[in-house]
Amino acid sequence: MTGNRGRLALSRGISAYLFALPFLVLFGLFVLFPLVYGLGLSVFKWEMLSGTPPQFAGLANYREALGDQYVSKAMVATVRFVVMAVVPTIALALLIAMGLHAVSAKRQAFYRAAYFVPTMITITVAGILWRWFYNSEFGLFNAYLGQFGIKIPWITDSGWAMPSIVLMTLWWTVGGPTVVLLAGLQNIPVSYYEAASLDGATGWQRFLHVTLPLLRPVLLFVGVLNVIGAFQVFGQVYMITNGGPELTTRTMVQLIYETAFNNYRIGYAAALSWLLFLVIAVFSFLQFRLSREK
Amino acid sequence: MVSAPMTTERTANRRRATTQRAVVEALLALGALVFIAPLVLICITALKPDSEIVHFTGIFPRHTTLQNFHDILGNPEEIPIFRWFGNSVFISTSVSLLVVAVSSLAAYSFARLNIPGRRYLFPLIIGTLMVPGQVLLVPVYLILNKLGWLDTPLALIVPAGGGAFGFFLLHQFFVTLPRELEEAAELDGCSRLGIFWNVVLPLSRPAIATLFIFTFVGSWNDFLGPLVFLDSADKYTLPIGIALFQTSYYAEYGLTLAASVLCTAPVIAMFLLFQRYIIQGIATSGLKD
Repeated sequence: MTGNRGRLALSRGISAYLFALPFLVLFGLFVLFPLVYGLGLSVFKWEMLSGTPPQFAGLANYREALGDQYVSKAMVATVRFVVMAVVPTIALALLIAMGLHAVSAKRQAFYRAAYFVPTMITITVAGILWRWFYNSEFGLFNAYLGQFGIKIPWITDSGWAMPSIVLMTLWWTVGGPTVVLLAGLQNIPVSYYEAASLDGATGWQRFLHVTLPLLRPVLLFVGVLNVIGAFQVFGQVYMITNGGPELTTRTMVQLIYETAFNNYRIGYAAALSWLLFLVIAVFSFLQFRLSREK
Repeated sequence: MVSAPMTTERTANRRRATTQRAVVEALLALGALVFIAPLVLICITALKPDSEIVHFTGIFPRHTTLQNFHDILGNPEEIPIFRWFGNSVFISTSVSLLVVAVSSLAAYSFARLNIPGRRYLFPLIIGTLMVPGQVLLVPVYLILNKLGWLDTPLALIVPAGGGAFGFFLLHQFFVTLPRELEEAAELDGCSRLGIFWNVVLPLSRPAIATLFIFTFVGSWNDFLGPLVFLDSADKYTLPIGIALFQTSYYAEYGLTLAASVLCTAPVIAMFLLFQRYIIQGIATSGLKD
């Protein structure tokens, strides 16, 4: 009897694994193994173009990165982007979501689609479009501003370039968090607002004491995802400024891309990837901690 | 008599609420206009001759022309846009089918079949959702190189099957399905695979549609993958093809914009057709944990 049951459990276990096998193989080969492999690569000197085989180098790549002025410049550009982009993105998304929440269901779907459509566009097209907007000679923005005698060096001035990238990103990406936050707002029971109103709470007080606390898990989720995404900004800068002017918009992922696939410094690129990963992990951890303490 | 001031106060309140709502909606509509305007502008401007793009004369074209579309579609040797379009369709469709197939089988195994080791495997798989994609770029490139898959569609298709997102999405959906139907099918002598195919999959159509569309759009718009893994122009996907073409036809904005219209139209059409699934997918994958 027990033997029978054991055999049955075994055959069930095997069939369960057969179902999961194709995914597990691909997951192992293209996610799990590369993760470990990349960490391994990062402690080797491997200049693919020189033809010399990879050599164990310990932490030499990491040490080099910490003293590399291009790395610090790229890290500064990345952090500037994160700081300028994340809070406005979430704030604007919350604002739009609250607006959407206030209108009738039918028109809500229509407006929601309008805010969401830009996120469906490939960065190539979005980049081409905004580079044309920003062009200082025949760009759309300066054509209109020129009528008031204003000319803004959108992407040609090192002070303006990153804010211009952020503005474009806001348009391109705000739809995703908006939809998630709207769903979060719709999950808050109306009775909470009614109770607050009976207690004489004003609109602003209802926002502070009902909406924000109840939306916190969703805000945290959206915030963490947004920070992870922002640290990996690449397409926008590659298409619109290609890192310029004076490398002020060359971000970490662009530097990693160029290190690996223009200069073929494989070990160094792997080390830079893991450094960025570390920074992202620390930031995500801090976000979770901060939100729990509150 | 007493109730009279009450009613006026109530109507005043209601009137204030209605005005407030109208103001909110007006702002919302204005914002929506700003968000859509750039897309409309691409279409309008693609109908302009280059001279009007370079010397801006207003939003609408003075001479409407299809020349840009004509040039970009009628030059298959220089601009193989049909080829790129075909590559994109093939790659995005294959990726979506692969992801749906392997993730649904695995998600079912984890949600229902009590797969041994689930306690350790599940958090391991879900944990990789937090791993930023750039960490995998260099090692995956080397693995694809070893397999001899670089500069072939396989480089973009097969690795996508290992992503944890689809697995997670479908797992979360499968655990909410009522068990009774599956149990009834089991009593009828249906095999595991039969139950999966005849009971679970039909019930999961909305979730599967969401995953399929999501994956399709993500793959269609992917930039870094094709940029790194593909080399020859005839293997390119549409976004990378246009990006490359745009560097050599830098001055010809009309052509670039016409190509952009052709690249964007299928995705927008797909979005408008399946909007419900897409929005639902984002909202639920963002809310459940």
